[in-house]
Amino acid sequence: MNVVTAEDLPALAAGAHLLASGAGRTDIDGVLHWLSALLCERGPVPLVQPDELPSDTACAAIGLVGSVTALAELPMVGDEPLQVVRALEARLDTALGAVAALDAATVNALTPVAAAASLGLPLVDCDGMGRVFPLIHQTSFALAGRSLTPLAAVGATADTLVLDATPERAERLLRAAVNVSGGWMLTAIYPTTAARLLSAGIVGSISRAIAVGRALLDAADIDDLTMRLKALVDSRVLGTGRIVELEHRTRPADIGHPAYPSSIVVRSRAEPVRSIRLEAQNELLLALIDGAVAAAVPDIICLLDPQDGHVLDVESVTLGTEVQVVVVPAADVWYTPQGLDLVGPRSFGFPLDGTGRQGGLKPMFRRDSRPRHDLTDAVADLDQGGKAEVE
Amino acid sequence: MSASRLPEVLTVAELVHHGPLAKARMLADVILDAQVRYVVLVSDLDQTLSCLPNTAIVLHTPAAQGGWALESALRAAWERTAACVIAPADSTVSRSTIALAERLNVPLFVVEGDPAQHALELAAAVASPGAARARLAARCASAISEQASLRGIVGVINTELPGTSVALVGEDGQVLAGKAAAVGGQVRVPVLTLDGKPWAHLVARLSAPSPSGTETVTTILRLARAPLAASAAKPKLALARRGAQERLLLEALLSGRPDADTEQAARVLGWRFDERNVAVVLRPVVGAPLIDPDIATAGVLAGWGEVFADRPLVPHGDGWVSWWSGPELTANQVMSRLRRRLPRIRCAVPLSAGLGEPAEGVHGLRRSMHEAALACAVAIRSGAGAVESFDALGPRVVLASLRNDELITAAQTALAVLLDSADGDVLIRTLCAVLDCGGSTTQAAARLGVHRNTISGRLDRIRARGIAFDDPDRRLALHVACFVLLGERAAAPPDGSSGGAA
Repeated sequence: MNVVTAEDLPALAAGAHLLASGAGRTDIDGVLHWLSALLCERGPVPLVQPDELPSDTACAAIGLVGSVTALAELPMVGDEPLQVVRALEARLDTALGAVAALDAATVNALTPVAAAASLGLPLVDCDGMGRVFPLIHQTSFALAGRSLTPLAAVGATADTLVLDATPERAERLLRAAVNVSGGWMLTAIYPTTAARLLSAGIVGSISRAIAVGRALLDAADIDDLTMRLKALVDSRVLGTGRIVELEHRTRPADIGHPAYPSSIVVRSRAEPVRSIRLEAQNELLLALIDGAVAAAVPDIICLLDPQDGHVLDVESVTLGTEVQVVVVPAADVWYTPQGLDLVGPRSFGFPLDGTGRQGGLKPMFRRDSRPRHDLTDAVADLDQGGKAEVE
Repeated sequence: MSASRLPEVLTVAELVHHGPLAKARMLADVILDAQVRYVVLVSDLDQTLSCLPNTAIVLHTPAAQGGWALESALRAAWERTAACVIAPADSTVSRSTIALAERLNVPLFVVEGDPAQHALELAAAVASPGAARARLAARCASAISEQASLRGIVGVINTELPGTSVALVGEDGQVLAGKAAAVGGQVRVPVLTLDGKPWAHLVARLSAPSPSGTETVTTILRLARAPLAASAAKPKLALARRGAQERLLLEALLSGRPDADTEQAARVLGWRFDERNVAVVLRPVVGAPLIDPDIATAGVLAGWGEVFADRPLVPHGDGWVSWWSGPELTANQVMSRLRRRLPRIRCAVPLSAGLGEPAEGVHGLRRSMHEAALACAVAIRSGAGAVESFDALGPRVVLASLRNDELITAAQTALAVLLDSADGDVLIRTLCAVLDCGGSTTQAAARLGVHRNTISGRLDRIRARGIAFDDPDRRLALHVACFVLLGERAAAPPDGSSGGAA
């Protein structure tokens, strides 16, 4: 497809919800309605691949930073996309030729569409995460050496913020600003060119999200959905069962990450009886079957309702809920050594390594375990290895 | 049964019973018979995947944070057939983790304190299992030797073997000391008294039974048998000792000239003798089995103490003596009390009692005791529980003092002609009755309940046998001989003969 129409929006939202790895919220209806109206008014948004644009087209990623719950309580007025893009353009002294997504999951699959529609720009079919990560430097853009600054942000209080800072400072400053701006800010971030988007972005994210959403909406039952997802994104089912434990603050909390760590234990009904333990901190990060690691971040771990196949959030499940645990592999870039350093289990406080895209229950503890990196080290590594061009 | 050598490798169960895991908390209910050969301290979950089989994995805090880490360790332990997983006290252990441990059959423990220290203790125990057992036995032995009471000894064993409940159970099933939970347990060791009689059993129940654990516990229980028997014998010895002391004191008191110290000591014991005294002498009945006097004393003192709590009972001669003292005391009062309560005394020795006459002061007590002794000599021929008073007996006490054994032999010889005949029994009884009645056949007939002519006929037969009972020189001797023979018949086991001492 090469446009995003109002009819595509429900599928886009559903697919984005699945790819949120349990952190999505269902209360983005407000944004959905507003965007539908916008598209009906302005017409469909062109969806382009990065190589379909002139290579030096100025682009930026659009994404909401903060809490979606705050967005539900204090909705966008409607001019935020325009405001934020104009602010960045003023800072860059360049007009943007296209927008991309920061992370095409939850509401941030919709905000770039809104930006593209508001500004009359095409939407590049790529994003920086392919799923949700808690910190804005956890992107493929950063891995490729793209700087996230200068960035512009607009919040519910109509403040406009333009940040010039080092990447690790920018994260902290932005968080602080978000906290005092009503809990969310729409950002235009990672200014770059179309050529670099091709190499630095995760291409095809938007269309993938729409396809996944279609599967979710069209599937007749859970088994049909399973087959469709397997075909689309090579997903696998870890197990189905009932939640028997749901505890919070079960791990030492890392101050650098938002939210508190929680644990969910699912006991499968069918023989052989197994228990699937899920560790979460906003997103689902780790899945253990009977103590053996079956999936770990960056894998996208999702919870589906076995009755009707819709996506369940970590926040919305309780003891006794029936769930099916599904794992969708993340983009290839996250399984490289640098990718794992940035978003692998160790960066979330789990001293072990990922299972790799092949999945299955392999022994996971590497001998040459490396200590946790913070952002400074990661960027320093990249500076040594990759292209470090700063816009 | 072949001599069993204890295996050289400890099992998890043994570490729980008497090793360093005794103070750990076991979370999963699994079988604990895995052997433990190695101990490894893990601070990075990496290490669990390279451990050898039969390893006890001790998790250090970084490797145990979060339920997922513990579950990973359990899984790795299962895959590597480790012996058990031991987590620090501050790890999060949820129900699902425990369920996983049970499903994988991996023992899971939580231990307070420093995991590194605990790993060291485990390593020491695992490295020399024989030494660990020997240390335990030595520790138990020295702890038991410090205790003096039954409860103390059994309590010490319970403390030293936390994974085991131990109790001392009497022959009647009553728990004498220790934990009632042990009754019906796997280990049972008999305990004999100091003189070799069965008395009680030591029973133990192991929380995690295993052959080597059972053997270790049996060894410890055997160590405790002698101290328990000695401890149980103490009260009896104390009684016997008290009896001996009081015997000496009473003899000193009753000697010709007691001094002030003796009287003071007696008063301190609560003995009163300044007013009218009625003495009581107790002796075992004739025909009772002979028991060592010291052992008998302990039993008699205990039994007397139950019934006559405030009365002293002092060994004296070949019996025991007590007395009542009061301003207006009569022998009848004491007699009625004794008659009522003497049968209630529970002891191994069947007793009879004799009472003296009331008399005042220490000298009066001495005389009353002589009278009581004479009365008792009669009472013991009348069966257990008999009480005779000197006053009522009167001169008959003289006869009671006769040396029976020699007399019986002589009497049997003297009256052999009568004894040999078929009706010798009847003739002797008739002769005795006639002599009792001073030669009056009428009274003798009434006494025996037959016709006067029967008596005459029997007398003729006696005279015919050559027994000259009319002769004044022989009459007394014959009378005594008959009396003695009839008394011997009465004291002997009943064979249908009636009548007692005349």
